[in-house]
Parts: sequence; C-alpha cells; structure tokens
Amino acid sequence: MKVLIIIPAYNEEASIGMVVTGIKLHIPEAEILVVNDGSFDSTSEIAAEAGTAVVNLPFNLGIGGAMQTGYIYALENNYDIAVQVDGDGQHNPAYIKDLIAPVAEGSTDMVIGSRYVSRTDYKSALSRRTGMVFFSTLVNLLTGKRFKDTTSGFRVVNKRIIRYFADHYPTDYPEVDVLVKLHKRNFRVIEIPVEMQERQGGKSSITPVRSIYYMIKVSLSLLIGAIETVDS
Amino acid sequence: MFINVYTISILFSSIFLIVIIELVRKKKLQERYSLLWILMSAVLLILSSTPAIINTLAEWLNIKNPPSVLFLFGLVYLLVYNLHITTVVSKQSEKITRLTQEIALLKQKQEDKR
Repeated sequence: MKVLIIIPAYNEEASIGMVVTGIKLHIPEAEILVVNDGSFDSTSEIAAEAGTAVVNLPFNLGIGGAMQTGYIYALENNYDIAVQVDGDGQHNPAYIKDLIAPVAEGSTDMVIGSRYVSRTDYKSALSRRTGMVFFSTLVNLLTGKRFKDTTSGFRVVNKRIIRYFADHYPTDYPEVDVLVKLHKRNFRVIEIPVEMQERQGGKSSITPVRSIYYMIKVSLSLLIGAIETVDS
Repeated sequence: MFINVYTISILFSSIFLIVIIELVRKKKLQERYSLLWILMSAVLLILSSTPAIINTLAEWLNIKNPPSVLFLFGLVYLLVYNLHITTVVSKQSEKITRLTQEIALLKQKQEDKR
C-alpha cells in the first residue's frame, strides 16, 4: 500500500522539523508531502531540509485548500492511503500505523484519531471545547452516528475518499463538514482513540470572534450538506 | 388573500430563501457568500411578518409611510452587499494576477529545460 502523509503547514517553522522527523521515525516507508500554505516564515526551507517533498502554494488557501492540494497530489501519484498530520506537533506520529491499519485491511474508508473516545489527558481551552461539543452534537444529529471528536485533523483515508476529496473538499472547517457529506455517500468512518499534545510552538489561526462566525458558517454548511442530493 | 406590500415581501423572501439554498446545494453559490443573502431574506421575512415591527421602526425613524422601511432596508442591504462583493472581487483580482505570473514563470522554466 502506497501511503502519503500530508502535512498542511502555515508558518510552522517552530515545529515542522520535529513533526517530519517524528513521522520518519515511526513510519519510514511512507512518503511525506508538506503543503506550505503561503507561509512567510521558513517553514518551506526547514521541511525541504528535513527531507520531504514540499508544495508551495502561491498564496494562503486555508486548511481546506491546502489539504485538498495534498489529496490531488495523492490522486495524481496513485497513492492508496492518505494521512493528515498537522504541522504544529499536536498529532503524535506513534499512532499513525494504528490509524492506517483498519483502512489498509479494508474494513473502513476513513479513520479519525479521536481525542475523546476514551479518557485521555488532552485538555484544551473552554472555548475550543464548547465549539467541539457543538459541532459533534450537530454532526451526530445529522448523521445518526456518535462521533466524539469531529474537529480532529488526524485522519487516514483510502483511495475512494482521496478521489472524492480531490474533487470536493470544503474550505472552512473541512474536518467537521466532510463527516456529513461522507455519511451521505455511504463511506464508512470510524474513530480510534489517540493521545494528542498541545501545539508545539507557533500560533493557532483560530480566534474567538472568528470562531462564532465560523460556527454559523459551518452549521449552515452542515445543514445544506445533509439535504443535498447525491449524484454519482 | 389580502395583497399588500407585506404579503408580497413574505412571498418574495420565502422564494428567495429557497432559491439561495438550491444554488448552494447545486454548488453554484459558495456557502460563505450565501450567508449574507440568507441573513437578508430572514430579516426581510421577519420584518414583513407583522406590520407592528415596521410601524414601530417607522415611528423611530420619522418615516411617514411604514412600508418604506422595507424598501429602505432592502436598499441599504443591497448597498452593503455590493460593497462586500467588490472587496471579494478585489481580492480575487489580486490572486488572479499572482496566478498568472506564476504560470508564466513556470512556462518559462519549462522552455528553459528544453
């Protein structure tokens, strides 16, 4: 199975080197693609030096556009499995193989590394947790499933989903948004517990004001996603 | 049924809302841009639902003819939305320029290699 690890990165010079080496340590047979989302620091140079392929977007597209670039690359280069690992060091590469296993054996189409399926030591700010609870409640309502961590970007997908994402990937909060859309198209999605860490340096691009605006936007998108008709 | 500016408003904003949602579903309108339209239709719907709201607003604003408030609202909203759209277009313009330049430079690199 050809595995591609996609690392979307926006100004992550503080952590990107460590993320890349961590991944190479735990899963040396996979190939890594860093999608530099218009960073103005030395993210790109550090990644290249750490020895991975780098795609430099001409300007910032956001997590949706950046990840989709990765999926397009995965499709064009015929990868069987694509893994999303964030460039800020929150995702622990030791879990990558566990996340890949169910997809590789074909029992599911997507695996989400979830912070909350079993008790973990992960703690996050109250505002963030409120947002997460809001989203998982809404998604669970619309899909009838019981997702615990809908915003986790730590995920693995198979070729069928790579093909779908290369064509259709939302720009805002895509992690949450696609859950409804994938469910509508009968893709199988499971969650596996993982441990995550605090961001290792750099700044998060999410602020409280933006959060509310995004929450409305994404809720709308989720609702529309639930009522859209699926063509082949 | 009593046909007046209120009932026409309700009918119009309802149809408009449905049209917007359809456009988003069919991917002809991006969700981020539909938000403002949905907000406008929703507010228009609420404003025209009972004359009481319009009458109160007309009093506050010293407007003699209450339904004018509906038109005022529509007009102001269109102005604001147009402004918003032009800022979006400006940003896109910038991006298109940049993309054009990148493509030209890429082509040049390709030809160099021959």
